[in-house]
Amino acid sequence: MNGPVPPPRIAVAGVSKSYAGIPALDGVDFQVPAGVVHGILGENGAGKSTLMKILYGLVRPESGYVRVDGVDLPGGSPAAAARAGIGMVHQHFALVDDLTVVDNCILGAGRGLGLVDRAAWAARIRQFAGRLQWTIDPQARIADLGVGQRQRVEIVKALLAGGGQTRVLILDEPTAVLTPQEVDELIPALEALAAGGTTVLFISHKLHEVERLCPTVTILRRGRVVYDGPRPERDAMTRLMVGEVPPVLGLHATASPGESRLEVRNLEGGGLHDLSFTVRAGEVVAVAGVDGNGQEPLIRAILRDARAVTTPGLAPEDRLGGIRRLGLIPDDRQHEALVLPLSLRDNLVLKEHRRFPFATSWGWLRLGRWRAHAVDLLTRYGVRGGGPDTPAQDLSGGNQQKVVIARELHRNPGLIIAVNPTRGLDLAASADVLRALAAARDAGAAVLLIHHDLEELLAVADRVLVLFGGRIREAPSRERSAIAGLMLGSPTP
Amino acid sequence: MIAARTVWPALIPFAAAVAALGLILAGLTLVGYAPGEVLATAWRGLAGSPLRLGIWAQEATPLLLTGLAAGLAFRCGVLNVGTEGQYLMGAVTALAVLLALPPSVLSPWLAALAGAGAGALWCALAYGLDRWRGVPLVLSAILLNVVAARVLGALVEGPLHDPTTAAPQSALVPEAARLGALLPGTALTLAAPLAVALAVASWLVQRQTALGFEFTVIGLNPVAGDLAGIPVESRRRLAALGSGALAGLAGAFQVAGVTWFLSGDAQSYGYAGIAVALLGRLHPLGMIPAALFFAGLDISGRQWERRLGIPHDLGDVAKGAAVALVLAAGFFRGRR
Amino acid sequence: MSAGILVDALLTGAVAAATPLLVAGLGELAAERAGVLNIGIEGLMLAGCFAAFAVTAATGNPWLGLGAAVLAAMALGGVFAVVSLTCRADQIVAGMAVNLLAVGGTGAAWRILQDRGLTDLPAGSGFTRGWTGIPALGELPVVGPLLFDQYGMTAFALVLAGVLALVRRRTRLGLVLHGVGQDPHALAASGVRVLGVRWGAVLFAAACAGLAGAYLSTMRTHAFVPLMTGGTGFVVLALVMFGRWSVGGLVVGCLLFGLAESAQQGLQSLPGARVVPHQLFQALPYLVALIALALAGRSAPGPAALGRPWPER
Repeated sequence: MNGPVPPPRIAVAGVSKSYAGIPALDGVDFQVPAGVVHGILGENGAGKSTLMKILYGLVRPESGYVRVDGVDLPGGSPAAAARAGIGMVHQHFALVDDLTVVDNCILGAGRGLGLVDRAAWAARIRQFAGRLQWTIDPQARIADLGVGQRQRVEIVKALLAGGGQTRVLILDEPTAVLTPQEVDELIPALEALAAGGTTVLFISHKLHEVERLCPTVTILRRGRVVYDGPRPERDAMTRLMVGEVPPVLGLHATASPGESRLEVRNLEGGGLHDLSFTVRAGEVVAVAGVDGNGQEPLIRAILRDARAVTTPGLAPEDRLGGIRRLGLIPDDRQHEALVLPLSLRDNLVLKEHRRFPFATSWGWLRLGRWRAHAVDLLTRYGVRGGGPDTPAQDLSGGNQQKVVIARELHRNPGLIIAVNPTRGLDLAASADVLRALAAARDAGAAVLLIHHDLEELLAVADRVLVLFGGRIREAPSRERSAIAGLMLGSPTP
Repeated sequence: MIAARTVWPALIPFAAAVAALGLILAGLTLVGYAPGEVLATAWRGLAGSPLRLGIWAQEATPLLLTGLAAGLAFRCGVLNVGTEGQYLMGAVTALAVLLALPPSVLSPWLAALAGAGAGALWCALAYGLDRWRGVPLVLSAILLNVVAARVLGALVEGPLHDPTTAAPQSALVPEAARLGALLPGTALTLAAPLAVALAVASWLVQRQTALGFEFTVIGLNPVAGDLAGIPVESRRRLAALGSGALAGLAGAFQVAGVTWFLSGDAQSYGYAGIAVALLGRLHPLGMIPAALFFAGLDISGRQWERRLGIPHDLGDVAKGAAVALVLAAGFFRGRR
Repeated sequence: MSAGILVDALLTGAVAAATPLLVAGLGELAAERAGVLNIGIEGLMLAGCFAAFAVTAATGNPWLGLGAAVLAAMALGGVFAVVSLTCRADQIVAGMAVNLLAVGGTGAAWRILQDRGLTDLPAGSGFTRGWTGIPALGELPVVGPLLFDQYGMTAFALVLAGVLALVRRRTRLGLVLHGVGQDPHALAASGVRVLGVRWGAVLFAAACAGLAGAYLSTMRTHAFVPLMTGGTGFVVLALVMFGRWSVGGLVVGCLLFGLAESAQQGLQSLPGARVVPHQLFQALPYLVALIALALAGRSAPGPAALGRPWPER
């Protein structure tokens, strides 16, 4: 060794931040040297995204500091973060769809408002992409690119913003939307970047990718650092991330399935190819798959297609609104299931508002019944944080989902469609949701669960279908690696 | 908790009205008027006698009806800013009916029906252009407002013109075909109690019927409404037609009971109705005080002009300020 | 009267009618690109119309009037921005409120002007045609009547259109405007202050509307009449959509509409036209705008975030 030890590339010390009095980050400390790929791990709600926003200057910490190569990073300014050499690739790409690659790079990495030299930018884009062994067409419109290409554009854009001097590149859940091949191609590029001296912060909860990529990790739980150092074994990592909450496992059916409740026969269109499957009473059929492989058209068809999809005992026009027969837990509860400004009372009666006993046959509402119904459901389903008159928007995500589940499941519908029902929920709330689905199945419902999280899906699924590229295949077993392979498009083993 | 949630927002429009009025008074004080005298003049003009009260109610009636019209559509997420055109078409259709049919007790009611129908049709035209030709409702409605004003002008100078004068105005509705005044010396007709009844009815529909609940749900979140099995499109169509009919009705009653003729001069009850609906926070009963406030400003403005030489248009400024304040206080947030 | 003179008159009239639409339209185009739909543009034009007339009448200096028009419209545009951007009220109803304010404000101020006897512009104080000051240029064939025998505003409008087209195609400002109206999330994630950009666009649009208003009262006519904009602002909104949010499309739309307007006036003056009430002719351009929009159909979706508040929740 000669000379003084250089300061760490990035140092986070005592960083805290709370929202509405609830701490999101609580005294977070860690350091990462130059030229490594470092993993930052944690469950949803562990504080990862808040930490990222602080590093990128979108959010100012309440206490503590961030230093890059020993120099304080002024908080609350993305421009200052960019000047300090920090680049950021957001999970939801910050690309304008109807502009070209070069225009997006000028937008995201350029300065000022004046004239632009597209040819020079295009050359730099090619140059930066070339260093990572990528080819990117600077003139392509973003809308015409696939997800993997878009991510490359994002990464190149972030590097361009650093003008070739990017010291820290932050990747927020970079593999959530990628196919396995795309992940395989991303990983060497990140390693090449690190070899060139850039520190890569890899935020993820996908342990097998962390194992391939990150020699060191920081693990967050409930806003605190619970581990910082060389990457532990997988079981240890899981325990550190999840804590001592027992995982929900083994909620499988004991009785054999009954009559068919949902039949899909040769469904085509909207990117789907010849889909066929059946869901019977008393079973949970789970559809696994990476988002964007045909989930949306499949759901639309199940709710509205009268030809390829049949629901024995339920007329197609009654699929929507007829919650005595079909319970629907849609993907986006705030946008698709709840009317946020309305009270819980109104939200809980929605769909039944024309039916006895909530309205007379003339459509006159019996609001007293509404109230009693709401009070009953709120107690039965353990909704906290509000009464019948509370607007739905005042509840937490977990309690909002409980309201949706209460409304959709309390009539014991024969068929339940649930789409990513635990999205954005913490572990305890997720477990509640999965248990509610299992209980409905045990009571005789047919459940179709379309879910992005394989672990949770395996906990309740009796049969697993895999959706990839608009085609569906039945998994031969519930074995994790086989299903993961199918999700990524590998041929049947 | 309930008090904080429901009472406080209901007070915002009143606060906004007072603030807007205060703004005008402050301005007038600055240029040398005595605020006390300004207020007293307004009060005498509004409530100085039973006759004055009757005129106040008479002036508020078309505003309440067009307010209900705008409110019905807005609540359902249909931004019908075409109430002005629908009002004008209602008025001119009613006038045509009144002039064409032999006068009888039934005449004004037939005219009201025709006016409501014309308003609904004019709104259907705008709505149809949006639905089937992709012209945003806001644009189609607002352009049809201008067209309606010109069509009215043409009819008033053409087929409906009063042959005894060169002025651009229509013939007079025969006395026997007019809607009778409830209070001698005013034009306060059955239209006023009917408008209040319609407000109460709107409120009951909104609060107590499945249809009203569906309107509210669609207005706040059409996607959730659709997934809840509500026929979103047909409900919106219904709201648009109802809205146009109410605006047309306002015009018809005005011709049959108040003006008895039409001229090409600018009117603005339809535009003002949108402001009334917003100031009433889209609550049908809230629109009653809102309509009275606006009518009060119109009357006071005229009194100020006559007695103090203050331009009556200041009333319009107060209206705009009140609406802007209600909006700024967080009401009617833009949707995603 | 020869056919040539008739065509010249038609075209001159068309350009004269198109000019205020283009000036206001370019501003509104920038605002809509940034995601803000301002129905209050009618009111902003009216405010500009009045302010230009009043200040010119009082001072005898039309340039001061022009400045006043810009300031008045920007002040009112600021009210719109506070309500719709900062307070996030629905843009359409906020625009309606602005229209109401403008109608009331100009009406009241007009009475005051009348009381002071300022109902006419001092002789020779309005702008005159032939902005170059070289009468010979106006005599040139075709370009003479179209370009030189017009008010300076026409030349300004064309320059502004060129600048805006350049900004849109060749500058980062153009990309920022486009992005803010298309995907504000993406821009915010890159550190762009979405609200700031929208405020700027709205104020620019207001200034343009003010200038367009001034054109109506101190150039095209030398008079003010209450409500004299009479729906011109709404036509501007239609034309921006008709031109599919592009500068070129807007220019074409304005010229077509100007032609309809000019033809309408020409038709009215024909000997046989008396049997048809002149209001029907006046309705013609608005019907043309509606029909053009209806025929253009859904093919132009426009900025994706148009009319939506930011931040969304």
